[in-house]
Amino acid sequence: MNALLVICGLSIVSLLAEIANFKKWLTAIAIIGLLVATATLALEWNGEVETYFSHMLVFDNVALAFTGLIAVVSILWFWMASDYFQAQPQHRTERTSLVIFAIVGAILMASYNNMAMLFLGIEILSLSLYVLAGSNKESLLSIEAAFKYFLMGSFATGFLLMGIALLYGATGSFDIGTIALFITEHNHALPSFFYAGVLLLLVGLAFKISAVPFHFWAPDVYGGAPTTVTAFMSTVVKIGALAAFYRMFSIGLVGTYSTWSTILMVITVLTLVLPNITAVYQSHVKRILAYSSVGHVGYILLAFTADPTASSGVIFYYLASYAVSSIAAFSVLHLVEGNSESITIEYFNGLFKRNPLLAVGLTIALLSLAGIPPFPGFFGKYMVFALAIAKGYTPLVIVAVVTSLIGVYYYFRVIIAMYFQAPQQATPLPVSGSQRALTFVLIVLSFVLGIFPDAVLSLIQ
Amino acid sequence: MVVVSKSPVHSVLYLIITFFTIAGHYVLLNAEFLFIVHIIVYAGAIMVLFLYVIMMLNLNIEMEPHKSTMLKFAATICAGLLLIVLVGSLKGTEALPASAVADPDLGSVQRLGKVMFDEFLLPFEISSVLLLAAMVGAVMLGKSEKANDIL
Repeated sequence: MNALLVICGLSIVSLLAEIANFKKWLTAIAIIGLLVATATLALEWNGEVETYFSHMLVFDNVALAFTGLIAVVSILWFWMASDYFQAQPQHRTERTSLVIFAIVGAILMASYNNMAMLFLGIEILSLSLYVLAGSNKESLLSIEAAFKYFLMGSFATGFLLMGIALLYGATGSFDIGTIALFITEHNHALPSFFYAGVLLLLVGLAFKISAVPFHFWAPDVYGGAPTTVTAFMSTVVKIGALAAFYRMFSIGLVGTYSTWSTILMVITVLTLVLPNITAVYQSHVKRILAYSSVGHVGYILLAFTADPTASSGVIFYYLASYAVSSIAAFSVLHLVEGNSESITIEYFNGLFKRNPLLAVGLTIALLSLAGIPPFPGFFGKYMVFALAIAKGYTPLVIVAVVTSLIGVYYYFRVIIAMYFQAPQQATPLPVSGSQRALTFVLIVLSFVLGIFPDAVLSLIQ
Repeated sequence: MVVVSKSPVHSVLYLIITFFTIAGHYVLLNAEFLFIVHIIVYAGAIMVLFLYVIMMLNLNIEMEPHKSTMLKFAATICAGLLLIVLVGSLKGTEALPASAVADPDLGSVQRLGKVMFDEFLLPFEISSVLLLAAMVGAVMLGKSEKANDIL
């Protein structure tokens, strides 16, 4: 809770920077604020589970862990985006504060205990992102991305709201604990519109986590938005949305598992197969990463379908490893792309000769995303598969293994271009000191996560 | 009159009257808060939005596309089918249990205020964050880049 208050305050402070003229220090202030928030989270860790404001928010260990992950990834993101903020000084305060608002929304989504809070969290997150996606006003692609995201997002919100309304009508409560209790008490006499509500809620949340068949906005929005914003969307936002999904279905609606498990299984298979195959045919690296991020949702959903109550540790580890690799991939992408609008694989030709550190950083990130040991992505996938096999979902695991093999192909297209193709320009790519440090830190983090998966996994189990 | 009047501005004005009559129903149903909100949101904000759209599009009769008889026929059938579905689904719903004589205070502003500032205090406060984010976003998108350069 304290972390949430700190971050709310931080957003106001960053707005005030416009008047008080300390814009130069804004990124540093944001990082310090987020560090403070992380520290307060660590202090609350393993304490008594506290509920706030008549059960609106609950910070149990799962919520604390996801909130911490959001905060840490946001710190990495601000670090990565520091030179983007410097390169485009217009609206610096607004953009920073919108990002922090989005973080507030993501934290609400990770810790809500009441569907009113879920809705507000999603809205705060999405509204900030609609604007951020269109923050590059000179680019037609960016405006297109913002508009598509806005239309699709508000459509999804409609589904979500209708679902919440129907659930409220059936159970008489917004509180997910009360709803869970109601389900166990009236297990055989639930009205039919209750199930309609569950379905609508599933659709609304599937939009937000961009699971197939509700993923159509993702490649366009990820491809059109400025690269740093895309990095934010594919890490922090995804963590928040998946945490919300996990909370809703593992606490609130687990009593109706038999109703939604089949639907979720179909969604999982589609999310595993379609994006991984589509990504093979893409030539733009941002779109490849967008499809791959949709594909990764599939693996997380696989763990969740297999065991909705005990999969929090696996999901957390998977998200942590995915977020670190994604930030690393996008930070290199951002540096390589320069001022161009859309970045194809040819941009990476001979990157190893132009800047070895970036090439190595990107290679490790992509190997981790592809699931090659000893990088964290491998252990994430391994744990998902182990969990699913233990619960008897072997056919799904076979599909998932095949799709991750397809994934290796398109990740290696970029890697091969970096090492074996002749560079288009022979000039070395200059990189600032802080970006070099960030790449180095991300490489170290990948190895740490890969070598000590247990340390992360045992946090919430 | 909303549907039949020729001028779009007139039909919008008639729509306002319709909204006021619906708001009157809320008063009769003892829901004062809904009454106020309905007038503020629909008759106030949404109508202004409609009027802006009409003024921007600059509609007049010559510009109105003429629809073929076929299309009109198809539209009639579709609307009729929708009506049948609606009537059918209304008949299908279980009759609501006759509500006991409701608390006369239900829906009053006092009751609502108590719930809003007690149980739902946090959502109320967090809404302010949402509105602030929306405002910042609108300012950022609306502000022209050129004006920014001068500053």
